[in-house]
Amino acid sequence: MNNALPTGDVEHHVDYAAAPVIEIRDLITHYAERRVLNNICLNVYPGEIMIIMGGSGSGKSTLLRHMLGLHQPTSGSIRLLGKDITRLSEKEFYALRKEMGVAFQGGALFGSMTVGENVMLPLREHTRLDENTMQIMSRMKLEVVNLAGFENLMPSELSGGMVKRAALARAVVMDPKLLFFDEPSAGLDPVSAVELDELILRLRTAMRMTIVVVTHELESAFKIADRITVLDDGEILVTDTVANVRNSDNKRIQDLLHRRPRSEEVDADEYLHRLTR
Amino acid sequence: MELTVHNKGDYTIIALSGEVDLNYSPQAREQILKSLGDKCNVLIDLSAVAYIDSSGVASLVEGFQAAKSSQLEFGLVGVSNAALRVLQLARLDKVFPIHATVEECLGSDA
Amino acid sequence: MPNNMKYSLLVFVDGVGRKTVRAVEEIGYVSSLLAESLYWIILGKKHKQAVRVATVFQEIMAIGVQAVPIVSVLNLAIGIMLAIQGIETLKTFGAESQVIIGIALSVTREFSPLIVSILVAGRSGSAIAARIGSMLESQEVDALRVIGINPVRYLVSPLLLAMLIAVPALTILGDFMGLLGGALYTSLQLNLGLAVYADRTLEVLAVDDIRQGLIKSAVFSAIIVLVGVSNGFQVKGGAEGVGKATTRSVVLAISCIVLADMVFTYFLNR
Repeated sequence: MNNALPTGDVEHHVDYAAAPVIEIRDLITHYAERRVLNNICLNVYPGEIMIIMGGSGSGKSTLLRHMLGLHQPTSGSIRLLGKDITRLSEKEFYALRKEMGVAFQGGALFGSMTVGENVMLPLREHTRLDENTMQIMSRMKLEVVNLAGFENLMPSELSGGMVKRAALARAVVMDPKLLFFDEPSAGLDPVSAVELDELILRLRTAMRMTIVVVTHELESAFKIADRITVLDDGEILVTDTVANVRNSDNKRIQDLLHRRPRSEEVDADEYLHRLTR
Repeated sequence: MELTVHNKGDYTIIALSGEVDLNYSPQAREQILKSLGDKCNVLIDLSAVAYIDSSGVASLVEGFQAAKSSQLEFGLVGVSNAALRVLQLARLDKVFPIHATVEECLGSDA
Repeated sequence: MPNNMKYSLLVFVDGVGRKTVRAVEEIGYVSSLLAESLYWIILGKKHKQAVRVATVFQEIMAIGVQAVPIVSVLNLAIGIMLAIQGIETLKTFGAESQVIIGIALSVTREFSPLIVSILVAGRSGSAIAARIGSMLESQEVDALRVIGINPVRYLVSPLLLAMLIAVPALTILGDFMGLLGGALYTSLQLNLGLAVYADRTLEVLAVDDIRQGLIKSAVFSAIIVLVGVSNGFQVKGGAEGVGKATTRSVVLAISCIVLADMVFTYFLNR
């Protein structure tokens, strides 16, 4: 069940025969003494849009932060584009960062820079391109996300949806092979959310990116995903195609899909023990 | 990336091949601007390009702008599907003059 | 009863232990922060990651230039106060004119660096903590790391460099204003000409006195940056957390400055 690949109706833009772009093996992580992620195994293939879903506290944000190399796991390995980021030197990781783009939940645009400077920053940092070329590149990406003409504004002058699109422009300005997107539709009105979904699909087709999206929005997930991973309580319940996740008979998954609160069997002894120990 | 330059009629044809990415697009850019500086009409042959990233496309945009300001012709030839998708993403397919082949462009011009 | 006491003793020891561990941790963290930001200032160019000069100038403007009026006014006031107190005290010995020595030494060695640093700690130290804290909360620090930019190099090094330039410069200004304040009051009270006062001051002041003040002010600037930054990086819990860190960093910075001043004064005057 775990890490199932789609059979039959395989989407043409995902290459499931190729080596995975992301390969997570037996990932275990702790926060203080509490175990946050337990035995996570996950493959993401070239050109795939993988949605990581789960309620709050399920560990999905933690998993994302580990994939970005922002935390060291307790044990296990995370390979991005074939390189185990838990063992990379700072220099090697720096080179790998050119191939990764990240759009954070709140945008994380730098408040002291204009939108244009924000988008250009990765280019300045990683390339020695001509100033003109860099400017055209960042304007092109602002065109793609429909923010043409906003480059001289400060992030504080943008609306929530615009901030997310600007963050997306910054994330893809280097044409990364791998794009991570944290909660694209959180806090957006329905129309902006749909627009952002379309944008993600267009980026994948045009630039052949592999995209990992962390979200709790079902509609968006079902619309753009090739496969969905459902996390609960730090463990992967299932990784499968949209259709299979929808039709899963796992009770917890159905609870999540239908936004039902956790329905647990009450174990009388266990409960009594919890109250009286 | 490899880059070859030859002249045909009033045009300088710059043929790019392989991967036009961050490492090689400055080279392409330099050649394009140099040819335009020599007051040549420029055609960029992309038919042998396996991959072009946005730094490559940005160089083309810069070339097109330079050609316009010195009233020279600038066009793209043999745009592969992959390259076209990159252009379409930023709606640049509607901006560049795109021709199927060098001959077609020269023929229509004559 | 004895059991209860044993328990509270245990809690107490446990608390002291934890606090000690935390304090040691924090000192370790702050020293590595200092080492790392100095590293980028000195060796950044080698790694093609030089500290941004534009940012340094921006910070010098914010920390230094904008603080010029308030630094001038306060140091002038301190000079006047020193003159009042000095003349009053020395009257008992009939040695009022000796006040010039007292003002010259205490302003340059002590008051100017101290007042300037406390002022900068209040104005800029809190701003540093607030800025870093809110950048952490909005994931801007994560964004830097993900782009491949070392946050210490990008955020801390320019600040430290700017502070190391701005605070000593303000201290020199403070020296001048403090001496001027003392001179104005003294010359009025004792019917001395300002020129005579200046002559006497230059006679007693050695380069070493000014240098002592400047060394102190450099150390104080490092304290302000490190306390502000480390509190900023430890922010937890949204806007409220940022507020707490801001207050904490000002109190802590001023305390550290005063204590460091005492230690320095002791060693520099032996």
